[in-house]
Amino acid sequence: MLEAVPARVLVADDEDDIRDLVCLAIERAGGAVIGSVSDGTAALAAARADVPDLAVLDVSMRGATGLEVCSALRSEPGTAGIRILLLSAGASLDDVARGLAAGADAYLAKPFGVAGLVHQVRALMTGLPA
Amino acid sequence: MTTAGALTRPVVLGWSGAGRDRTLASTAMFAAAAVLLGTGVLPVMDGELVLAGLVTAFVAAVVARLVPHHSPAVGAALLVPATQLGAVALLGAGTGSAASLFLLLGPVFTLVTLPGRHGVLAAVLGTAVVLLVPQLLTAGLYPPAELPGALLLGPLVVGLGGLAVNETGRRVGRQAAAISHLEAERATLLAQVQTRADELDLATRMLAARAQTMTSVIDAVTEQSIIGTDRDGVIRVWNPGAEKMLGLPRPDVVRKRSIVEFHLPEELRSEAEATGSAPGLAALVHAAQEHGSDVRDWTYVAADGTQRTVAVAVTPRSDDGGLHAGWNFVGTDVTEARATERMKDQFVSLISHELRTPLSSILGYLELVMDDPDQPLTEEQRKYLATVERNAHRLQRLVGDLLFTAQVEAGRFTLQPEDVDLAAVVRATEETIRVAAAANDVTVRVDVPADALVVSGDPVRLGQACDNLASNAVKFTPAGGRVTLALRAGWRTPDGVVVSGEHPGAEPVAQLSVSDTGVGIPTGEQGKLFTRFFRASTAQRNAVPGVGLGLSITKAITTAHGGTLELDSAEGAGTTFTLTLPCPTA
Repeated sequence: MLEAVPARVLVADDEDDIRDLVCLAIERAGGAVIGSVSDGTAALAAARADVPDLAVLDVSMRGATGLEVCSALRSEPGTAGIRILLLSAGASLDDVARGLAAGADAYLAKPFGVAGLVHQVRALMTGLPA
Repeated sequence: MTTAGALTRPVVLGWSGAGRDRTLASTAMFAAAAVLLGTGVLPVMDGELVLAGLVTAFVAAVVARLVPHHSPAVGAALLVPATQLGAVALLGAGTGSAASLFLLLGPVFTLVTLPGRHGVLAAVLGTAVVLLVPQLLTAGLYPPAELPGALLLGPLVVGLGGLAVNETGRRVGRQAAAISHLEAERATLLAQVQTRADELDLATRMLAARAQTMTSVIDAVTEQSIIGTDRDGVIRVWNPGAEKMLGLPRPDVVRKRSIVEFHLPEELRSEAEATGSAPGLAALVHAAQEHGSDVRDWTYVAADGTQRTVAVAVTPRSDDGGLHAGWNFVGTDVTEARATERMKDQFVSLISHELRTPLSSILGYLELVMDDPDQPLTEEQRKYLATVERNAHRLQRLVGDLLFTAQVEAGRFTLQPEDVDLAAVVRATEETIRVAAAANDVTVRVDVPADALVVSGDPVRLGQACDNLASNAVKFTPAGGRVTLALRAGWRTPDGVVVSGEHPGAEPVAQLSVSDTGVGIPTGEQGKLFTRFFRASTAQRNAVPGVGLGLSITKAITTAHGGTLELDSAEGAGTTFTLTLPCPTA
């Protein structure tokens, strides 16, 4: 993606290694990581303080779960427009359904490939208003 | 049982028996006559005739001794009295006294009491002869003018009297026979009554013993609750197991409480909603009523409010007449067992999730390293990292299988059904196994119809089932062997046979078969093959890697799709798995 201005992305995951991996993948996809946090509460605060274009949220986090963060972001006018990608270790269909019901745009089950994540991030960023 | 041995045979009194006794009386009469003659009380007119008469009487007495008592010959029975009549005739002639005629009584009685009427006739003729003989030999017993009268009257009196005696005797005999017959019948009936009484007594004692056994068995059960109710659910039977499980003694419950009072109301309500039955007892016995019996977990609420998870077998009970009398509830407390199962499920889920996170890191960073265009790897580095990646993927599959198995076990396994082209599934599987097959020098042949063969199912799970069967086939086939993936449309007849052409009453099916020329599965192990963690001896002997989850997962997927998974294998010759799935009827 050769966007003039790279998409601004917030990453929240309580697993440090995974979070770093996601950040690397986002950079490979051409995005700019504006925040990297390890729990749900911090993710909400960061999103409210500096609204990103895209939030990549782990479902099972301390503080608030990814689903709770997702619902909260959707319910506030200032953050309702953020694109949300959920990551989860639970691969069951119920989890996917709950994630989408909470307002996520896409859902990626762990373990995910970097290529898949890059592809998903690009797809979500493409749909952003220029 | 029979009393035949004790039966008294009917005895016909009289006529045929005791012949000697009767002639004995006559003999005594003759002896008395001889004494009277000897002492001169009776006159002797002709000594020779008198002597002849006494000799004849003696002969008769001897004959009576010799002739068997119950001689069947009529002649034999007649012989003694006839001889005696002859003696009377001679004595009459010898004495010329009518008094000698009294001697007639003996033989005449003997004759008329013979069975049948010929004795009477003989007596009549004999009497006539006795009257006539003295007349022919001597001066006779009567003056000539009285003779015709005596000749008529004597035999007539003897004949009529004889007939009367004979008839009476016969009637008495018949009555005696009837009485003895009745007595015999009574004895038989008495014996039968006794037998019945004995049988009844035995049956009663057996019933009592059985009731005692049942009661003692039920009372001896302390770890299972045995509860019997009437048709309305009112408790009638309450064993010590129920007392222990639900905390109430028998007298507080029997005829006083309903089984429903020990169930969780919400549970009965939701069951009633699910089955469309009335709440309460109907919800509890609905399934047993429909299928004859039902075993499932229910929550029992004890007297102190504690709740137990109990596996309850519900069965209807009938009375002696086969009419529905009530319900039996036999329960086993599975609270701890279910808690353990839940813990096991949670443990497997937790472990699987916890394993996935590090696996995500490993695979993700590997991918970053191997696909970094800025820092290309050497050929050797790439080979090592490919090995790391392959093993990480193997670990990932195992974790997936474990998690899936836990979901199946917990009943949390759901399908996302859509139209799936099985031909595409088979081709994808061929792609998946191609590398492994080539490495093992195993040829893979694919035989799928050119057109799509569509079933309704979960594409991911069906792909997993097909992959499992195919990768197993490759793993168990030695170098140089062949694996065939075949797909065909067919029709399953009501008796379960799959035929290729359309058939009346048959359902359309898709049949996927995976055949190999591998090591095969010993017959004795084929039944256990779909059990979790089971590994065939041939697998262990040939050091084929695996943990024994693939086939149990494949079976679970097949069953969830309403299909069947069959196996045909011979050790050393190869194995064919056939997966049959119902097709949507067009």
